[in-house]
Amino acid sequence: MTLTKSADLVLQAERTRPARLTESLESLAALRNDGLTRSAERDLLLAYSPWARALNEANLHITVRPEEIAAAAEAYREVAGLLVTKLDWPNDTIRILPQGSASTQTLIRSPFGGEKFDVDAVCQVDISRVAAQDPMGFFQSVGDALEELEAEAKKRCWNIPFPNRPFYLEFTPSVPLNNVSQYTMESMAPRYRAAFAYRATALAVVDTPTERWKTSNPAGMTKWIDDTAKRPLIRQVSMETAVLREAKAEVVPVPEQAVEITDTLRVAIRLFKRHRDMCVRRGIIAGEAKPISIIIVTLLTSCYEGLADLGRVYAHPVELLDDLASLLAHLVLKLEDQYRVDNPTVEGENFAEKWNHDGGTRYRAFVAWCKALSADLKTILALTEPQEISTRVREVFGIPAPTTDGTGLSSARYPAPPPTRPGRGLA
Amino acid sequence: MSLANLDLTSVQQHFPDLLPSALSRDRGATAYRLRLPAFPSGRAFGWAELRLPKGFPEHARAEIVLSPDAVLRVPHLDQAGVLCTDGDPGPGSGHSPEDRILLLLQAYQEHFLAPWLAGGMDGDFAAEALNYWAIEVAQSLSHSDPVRAVWTVDPCPAEAIVRQGLLLLPERIVIAADEQLPITNRLIRSMGKGASQHIGVLVADIPISHTLTPGTWPRTASDLDLILGGRLKPAEYEMFRSATSRRGRRIHRVVLLRSSESAFAYLLPGGPPTVVDDGKRKKTYPPLSRPLPLSAVRLDPDWTVGRDQHPEVADRQGKRILVLGAGALGSPVIDHLAKAGVGFITVVDADDLSPANIGRHLLGAESIGKRKASAAARRVNLGYPATVVTPHAMTAESWLKKHALSGVDVVLDLTGDPDVRWYVDQARQEHPCPLLIGWMEPYVAAAHACLLPPQTPWIQGSRDPLNDLEAVSWPDEVIRREPGCSSRFQSYTAAAAAHAVALVTENALDLIDGADGSATAQVVSWVRGQHFLDKHWPGLALRDWALPAAPHEGLILTRPFP
Repeated sequence: MTLTKSADLVLQAERTRPARLTESLESLAALRNDGLTRSAERDLLLAYSPWARALNEANLHITVRPEEIAAAAEAYREVAGLLVTKLDWPNDTIRILPQGSASTQTLIRSPFGGEKFDVDAVCQVDISRVAAQDPMGFFQSVGDALEELEAEAKKRCWNIPFPNRPFYLEFTPSVPLNNVSQYTMESMAPRYRAAFAYRATALAVVDTPTERWKTSNPAGMTKWIDDTAKRPLIRQVSMETAVLREAKAEVVPVPEQAVEITDTLRVAIRLFKRHRDMCVRRGIIAGEAKPISIIIVTLLTSCYEGLADLGRVYAHPVELLDDLASLLAHLVLKLEDQYRVDNPTVEGENFAEKWNHDGGTRYRAFVAWCKALSADLKTILALTEPQEISTRVREVFGIPAPTTDGTGLSSARYPAPPPTRPGRGLA
Repeated sequence: MSLANLDLTSVQQHFPDLLPSALSRDRGATAYRLRLPAFPSGRAFGWAELRLPKGFPEHARAEIVLSPDAVLRVPHLDQAGVLCTDGDPGPGSGHSPEDRILLLLQAYQEHFLAPWLAGGMDGDFAAEALNYWAIEVAQSLSHSDPVRAVWTVDPCPAEAIVRQGLLLLPERIVIAADEQLPITNRLIRSMGKGASQHIGVLVADIPISHTLTPGTWPRTASDLDLILGGRLKPAEYEMFRSATSRRGRRIHRVVLLRSSESAFAYLLPGGPPTVVDDGKRKKTYPPLSRPLPLSAVRLDPDWTVGRDQHPEVADRQGKRILVLGAGALGSPVIDHLAKAGVGFITVVDADDLSPANIGRHLLGAESIGKRKASAAARRVNLGYPATVVTPHAMTAESWLKKHALSGVDVVLDLTGDPDVRWYVDQARQEHPCPLLIGWMEPYVAAAHACLLPPQTPWIQGSRDPLNDLEAVSWPDEVIRREPGCSSRFQSYTAAAAAHAVALVTENALDLIDGADGSATAQVVSWVRGQHFLDKHWPGLALRDWALPAAPHEGLILTRPFP
């Protein structure tokens, strides 16, 4: 049988990882057997529910909701309007679309609030109809048009701060490659080629350090994640309603809600990204060496895809999360002494390129993070009291306890205002 | 007024959650429980109470205390669970005791309870992280702890490293640096007998980008191991994990997590046993079984000198200043220069300290009969580890004959001696460098700092311009002869001289920093007004240039030189 690349990756990882997190845990070992009866499956659902509930609470807290992202659309329009006006481009030459975590629904909040979230947007320009064709001229013309928004140049995008909004915009000028002529394509000579399966959505963006065009494919990436996330890996999902109904009939305490975290790939991406951010807060990894989100996304999606390709089935999302976490550290390829996390949508692009030129700092940080993630999940899965599970999940993922608006507090009358107090001198 | 006279019923009418039964607490305090609301999961604590300490209302403030389970889980609590927010405005506020209690209860409810329930305080731990760390440290404290605190003496490294440190006994302080750094030796010297024994320790010095809070700081040896494994290079990690002394004995290992704003330290388990000598007998305690949280304080010059607000300190640390004269002006100026972070000061003075000096000198009776230069250097070296003062007990003339001014960044001539001024000028012809000549007039009716760029000599033609630059033409009788000897003196107070010290130091620092204006030859003068002159000697008058000061108590005037 020919294995897919992702399936092969998973098999390799399985050979090198020490064990599943739950394997040694007595509380869960009994639940892990094949040929479950219906009532055993129900027991399993109930048994997993405290973890699922706690992880779901964390997931809900960190997720930037679609409506918040939609609010950024207004900002896109503002930017588009400026470009059309300032650059004198025809209205229909540009399209602005969200990309990255904003389009894959994996955008998360920073721990303890305070920091803005970044919305990535790509601005697609039909280059055959506009004047600027050399990469740096094209990039700069976009930046010049955005001057009044105080856009700041980064490696491949313009960062627009949007002071009074909860996000900033990372705005990447790009050229769709599917309709440029062969001649234009040759003159652009972008670094890397679009992977065949995702050619329709390939773009060229400007890589300012090399001053060259570079192939990119955010829409292809989004599609890959969407398609993968839809593949069923959880057996229980389809059965849950029946199981729960049966459970109710027998007056067994049931979870109040249906099985949570079933969108397990996205949940894993969000939770693991958040865990990485918390590891920076905890000093386990240095901020500048932390694994970048696209690496986490690529590894998790490849792993999920590989598990699906191998026909694996999980009884519960918690078990799948367990597998994803314990396999993660073993999913990075090392070929010819080079770390590799390949972009599935752009041939030859290695997201882990920097890992090969930093004396091992980033790889060590990645491994340390994976180790911390496994250790934390193992601690959580070893707990049995729902309250303890919930508390530990909050600690690990930096989730504040639920809040109320304090309206139940009794009101009190103020006494007369105090007389003016003397100020303090410096001493 | 006593507690018995308090009308708590009226308070309860306005604040129904105050429960009426009085409870006795330590040290004569009385407490009243507060009814708590329904808490969402994770926000509950055991109890809250209004506590009226003994002495309330006249001599103490009312406070809110929360149950021990809230400490380090709820922000703004001290170690005893006392809520640290403004509340009782105190006995001097003009409020009745009942109103003070009511104000406290309202502050508790509006500024603590409501925001706590609404999550509005969830980020507050980070804003005062070191206060909470102090609680964590205090909770783990015991008299047999091998280490009491960690002192850092240099900036946080860019990358995590393992370095040598020193455990200083009997003070039980770890300096997170070895003797290779001069400041380590200076601190050891300052500690005297407190640092009579030095033991090598290993320190994992790890930079952090976010301050740690009770929610993020490591709690167990495994938590710390994750950090060490994640941040140290593999070889250093292995070496740190299995470290032993050269004789194969176990050694202390400290994990230091720090940024320029906060620092957290742990002593790891697995070190040698601790011997505690209480003066009567020695007792040995077994090694730690779990990591010991330790306070980590900064003693690097940027912090001790300038609280990180003075970037010029870094440059001053490399500067070499020659101070001629360690008298009533020179000795406190040296002290101020050290406090300002000047790295190297050479002080030259041939005199011994006499009893008549101590009324206006940096040194006191303990130094009588000692060389002023040596004793002042010893004093400053002990107090300020950021500075090295090197004394030379000889005349300025002798010093200048033996040494050149090469390598000296600024010369301060605070001798008031015309011969010294002449010799300094000669030396500057060979090695031009900036010069400040500082002196005081009788009674410190005026003081002057003459700032000369490297190429500007003091002697103009063949004339020493000092007298011409003064603010008052002094009658001879003002200067007195010391009884029984040839010394001449003029009595002024240390307080009056403090103006002169400040003037000279500020201008010396401008020269040292190369600040604006230091390239121009100028005289900066502190001049007292006519009222001051009249108080000290009849008929004194300010010269024309100084007349603007006449109506004031004192004025600083700047003139070009000469």
